[in-house]
Amino acid sequence: MDVMIHRFAAAARAAGLRIATSEVLDALALLPRVDILDEAQFAALLRANFAKSRLERARFEHLYHLFFHELREDLHASSAPVAPHVEDFRRELISLEPPSEALSAIADFLAADPAAYLELLNSLQSEGRGAAGGPRGAGANLGGLVRRLPVLRALQRAREALDGFLAANRSRIHWETRRDLERHLAGRLETARRLLAGEDPLRRLTPTPLPAVTETYGELGRTPFANLSPGERVRLREAMAQLVRRLRDQTGLRTKARSRGLPDLKRTLRGAVRTQGIPLELRFRRRPPRKGRIVVLCDVSGSVWSTARFMLVMLYALQDCFDRVRSFVFVDAPHEVTRHFDDHEADRALTEVLHDPAVPYGAPTDYGRTLRLFRHRHLDTVTKKTTVIVIGDGRSNYGNPEEAILGEIRDRARRLIWLNPEPEAFWNSGDSEMRSYAVLCNEVRVCQNLNQLADIVRNLVL
Amino acid sequence: MPFSDVEATRQTLEAAGYACSPEIATVVFLAAVAGKPVLVEGPAGVGKTELAKAVARGLGRELIRLQCYEGLDETKALYEWEYAKQLLYTQIAREKISDAVSGAASLGEAMERIAAEEDAFFSERFLLARPLLKAIRSPAPVVLLIDEVDKSDPEFEAFLLEVLSDFQVTIPELGTRKALHVPFVVLTSNNYRDMSDALKRRCLHLYIDYPDAETERGIVCRRIPGLSRRLAEQLVAAMGRIRALDLKKTPSISETLDWAQALLSLQVDSLSREVVLSTLNVICKYRQDAQRVRQEVERVVKFP
Ligand SMILES: Nc1ncnc2c1ncn2[C@@H]1O[C@H](COP(=O)(O)OP(=O)(O)OP(=O)(O)O)[C@@H](O)[C@H]1O
Ligand SMILES: [Mg+2]
Repeated sequence: MDVMIHRFAAAARAAGLRIATSEVLDALALLPRVDILDEAQFAALLRANFAKSRLERARFEHLYHLFFHELREDLHASSAPVAPHVEDFRRELISLEPPSEALSAIADFLAADPAAYLELLNSLQSEGRGAAGGPRGAGANLGGLVRRLPVLRALQRAREALDGFLAANRSRIHWETRRDLERHLAGRLETARRLLAGEDPLRRLTPTPLPAVTETYGELGRTPFANLSPGERVRLREAMAQLVRRLRDQTGLRTKARSRGLPDLKRTLRGAVRTQGIPLELRFRRRPPRKGRIVVLCDVSGSVWSTARFMLVMLYALQDCFDRVRSFVFVDAPHEVTRHFDDHEADRALTEVLHDPAVPYGAPTDYGRTLRLFRHRHLDTVTKKTTVIVIGDGRSNYGNPEEAILGEIRDRARRLIWLNPEPEAFWNSGDSEMRSYAVLCNEVRVCQNLNQLADIVRNLVL
Repeated sequence: MPFSDVEATRQTLEAAGYACSPEIATVVFLAAVAGKPVLVEGPAGVGKTELAKAVARGLGRELIRLQCYEGLDETKALYEWEYAKQLLYTQIAREKISDAVSGAASLGEAMERIAAEEDAFFSERFLLARPLLKAIRSPAPVVLLIDEVDKSDPEFEAFLLEVLSDFQVTIPELGTRKALHVPFVVLTSNNYRDMSDALKRRCLHLYIDYPDAETERGIVCRRIPGLSRRLAEQLVAAMGRIRALDLKKTPSISETLDWAQALLSLQVDSLSREVVLSTLNVICKYRQDAQRVRQEVERVVKFP
């Protein structure tokens, strides 16, 4: 059993779960305390030790099923006669010429050791990372299919080898065993193919639920930014200015009350100990803590820009509620625009951003490359005090979405919020990678009108 | 050893009034065996806090609760000197103090003499123990609930990690205090932010989701004994459908219980369209949510 748990941990790591050695040891130490024949207990033991957040849990569930159900039919007595032949076939596969990494990973997978194969799939997902920072490397942005092709070919070779193996052993293996063996191995090859095609729930996790919003602004608040008439735009600006005033008042009032009045009794008394208990010096409460740092990453392709610009205006109008706001725009690479907003008021800054020659407005949007370069150049802007806000539709022209990097950013940040101007129904159609991104965020929201924007900003500031 | 095995744990929790899945029982049992904290995640109102209370009730231990929030620091979580009290004592004991320093040749000597009495000022008497220190000092084993730990700041989390790893604290004036018994620790989180890997490694993880209909009915019947079985079944089924509606605030077990209570006091015996519409404000905190349920009410009360 211990061996199996080590193997399971290896497979889970290969599939991207972070499991520390101490966690494996803890699980092993507790193993004798549960009834391993009671699956609820056994699974709960592994889950409690290996899946330590809601996000990891979904992935864990899938791996658990793969490892202890799909790949473990050989534990059943009925398939016992098949086992030695599976081993023979595995040896035959790894000795095939020309050898290939994919083929030997598949061979192990067929023999119920999926770690190498899962690792291979995981590396496909994040391929091209090596080229980070450099020019767009070949392969970095080729379609997913092209990247998967060598593995697909290896699966094909394995299938052909299986037919050959069965034919060659027609006289040596009993026909019933041969039939079971065929069924068994073909089933596993099918599982391997499904994992490769991403049809599996390994990636299809449930996205964060999206709370609806408070309806504050009626019709104007419901109209998508992109559809506003010029007259409505004017009213929108007024409503936004008013909201900013109100929020500043609410946060500002608190600040004033504290710096003006409210002495801090404890600190005053503590000081008084030094002066024979006479409170010579009144101490006041410190300024209330500000709401941390903000890093915004804005997609500036057409459809998103109408939302992103209003969000930027709001954030900078409320700038003094935060320690620091840094902003980046991107088409296929992140480009810092903080200084435009530091130097000018929002409207002028927006115009400058739109005319910044460094931003290739005509280029196809590339989220994967943007994330790679962001990690390479700007990752130090993100700390445990930072709330990272991505504003984008997640449409990346079928490039590698590099969702692993987004996960890395989330791990460094205090919170990761994704605002998508598209209604949820469109998220997973066409080239939208929203499905991959959404599960990694602490919060995902639709943001296409004033009601939604106001709600989001209110939550950020108050 | 508080529990002998998983099944005994389940029975203890059930007896303490907590409807308990095999998974919950297993994790609670393993945490007790390993002396590790449990980090409980899940949507609002699914019984995260209640689990800690039930463990305390079940084991007959005191529950010590630390509620986390932004800005929570050591003085609120661990201990604080009671300056006001120290000051008061200084005032009252002024004569004794002047006795102590009378005859001192110099100011320096007077200081020395006072310093010699320092222990009197920094003693347990003036120490205000906050939840963490209380848990560590307790002569009997306790359950320590660190509620909504995701609301605390990263700095506080680092500090907590230190406390949770060796259950001892050093108070410079008094020395090191080590827990006599490792408390049973429950941390709860609503996933406002991710906890650090280090903290997660230290804990066993438990995710509590909305309960299945069977479990929820069990909770309702236990908490609201006067409710008929049929009505409880309808109520829980309707709640399941309402939860599927993607509301701003998905109603939780607390709302189910409030609803059951309301129906009981209205003395209805079956959940009709009209009854749902007239009690909507019990389940929906937001106007739009109520609107949404109103639209779907036919589907919500469609019982076989
Ligand atoms: N399994 C259960 N058995 C009995 N009662 C339960 C159970 N789960 C929840 N309850 C009841 O439901 C209500 C809400 O539970 P609780 O306050 O523990 O939720 P919570 O998960 O801590 O919520 P929040 O995230 O809002 O703090 C309480 O009245 C509690 O008694
Ligand atoms: Mg709670």
